[in-house]
Amino acid sequence: MPEILRGRWFGRHALPHIRSSSKRRIITKEQSRNSDEVNTAGTSSSATSDWSLLKRIARKEEEALSALYDRYSGLVFSTAKRVLQQTGEAEEVLQDVFYQLWRTADRFDPAKGSLAGWLLVAARNRAISKLRRKTHQSGELDEDGVHLAVPLESYAAQNLLLEKVRAVMASLPDGQREALEYAYFEGMSHSEIAEKTGQPLGTIKTRLRSAMEMLKKVLR
Amino acid sequence: MTNSDHIRDEELELYALGGMPELEAEALKAHVAVCGECAMKLAESRGSAALLSFAVKQEHPAGTIKAELLSRIHANRAHEEDYAWPVPAPERPETGGLRVGKSARNKTSPWWNWIVVPAALLLALVSLALSYQNHKVSQALEKQRQAAQALLQEREKTEKLVGILAAADTVTVRLAPAAEAAGSGVVRYNARLGMLVYSALLPEVPAGKSYQMWLVPTVGSPINAGLLEKDARASTSVWLAQVPANTDAKAFAITVEPTGGSSQPTGPKVLIGAT
Repeated sequence: MPEILRGRWFGRHALPHIRSSSKRRIITKEQSRNSDEVNTAGTSSSATSDWSLLKRIARKEEEALSALYDRYSGLVFSTAKRVLQQTGEAEEVLQDVFYQLWRTADRFDPAKGSLAGWLLVAARNRAISKLRRKTHQSGELDEDGVHLAVPLESYAAQNLLLEKVRAVMASLPDGQREALEYAYFEGMSHSEIAEKTGQPLGTIKTRLRSAMEMLKKVLR
Repeated sequence: MTNSDHIRDEELELYALGGMPELEAEALKAHVAVCGECAMKLAESRGSAALLSFAVKQEHPAGTIKAELLSRIHANRAHEEDYAWPVPAPERPETGGLRVGKSARNKTSPWWNWIVVPAALLLALVSLALSYQNHKVSQALEKQRQAAQALLQEREKTEKLVGILAAADTVTVRLAPAAEAAGSGVVRYNARLGMLVYSALLPEVPAGKSYQMWLVPTVGSPINAGLLEKDARASTSVWLAQVPANTDAKAFAITVEPTGGSSQPTGPKVLIGAT
């Protein structure tokens, strides 16, 4: 496995909030009048769903946005940083994604997908757009509907998913992992990946499909 | 790409990952836009692709970013409170949310556009009308100026005519037809003023020709005293001419010259009279 891929995908960087989870205090309904609010110090209540927070954001409750930010800002930022390789720009993407959430929360339709999924795809798409502007590439990115059927509202759930994804990624052949990275995080076209890797276009497509099949197993 | 009127799952997965050729991507999007089943599968594929965010190195943003975000929101709220309706346009292009629908894609215009745009159009129309009006007024003024100038010239001519006719030292010379010519004329000449006034009844001038008046001095060559051209503004065919003052004239004559006249007589005499 190429070292660069190991560093990016399997760098043993667990979600930082997981490491200190034992020190956190979970606020329960009995402990707080605002029973469905998130502790903005970095912990989250598993009882507070994303959609509950989203409804409150739609009512322009900043505390709800703050809670959702605490819940997902690390993932959103990390996704953007992986694409852009630049902290400042990744922070811009992070802010833009949550700002859009604030502005359009009332238009989100739970039937069309998950909020966490949208946040992650939106972060990736905005980062890729920034990357393309640098290289004068065009191409519309599309994030209408992202169905991520796993609970991510607690850090424990996020950590569990992180472990599963990394386990799957570790099992992928290098070529598949490399193709995934080029397509999703570097915004390369299939033919560009084929050219870069020296593999036939058909092989690249096969590798991507096979890798996606493996990823889907995480959700089953 | 399609199987039984639906897009294959593999194609949806490739699209969700990105990197699909533009033409294929457009065809896929067009189908998904009208096919709920494929749209749902695409959403699932996007969800699978989104899992890749869990494979990257996890980092936390600086604490100041959240503060900046909240400040941005406060600033926006303050703005919205100042301008309560409708919501100001976003600062950055938005590429959509969880299928926010057409209404969400429509950018809302700042409320002042409802005033500024019609006002600008109205102002442009008023400016255009004023510009046209100004042009018309300028044209009318120019016509008035030209008419006033013509009246002034007419008055000066009349004053000179009166001055010559009233002067005691003005002489009258009657013009008679030369050989084989017809017509008559009269010249009032004041040598002191160096001016003469004359009128004539003559046949229609031949094409390409003009009648020209000459003062024949006692010494030297004939002096041009003007062409007998019709003056549209003059009520009568009376011509006024300036010649060098104190020129002694022994005769006046009208000749036929090329159109525009000559410096010296070249054509036949039609009228002539001695002082």
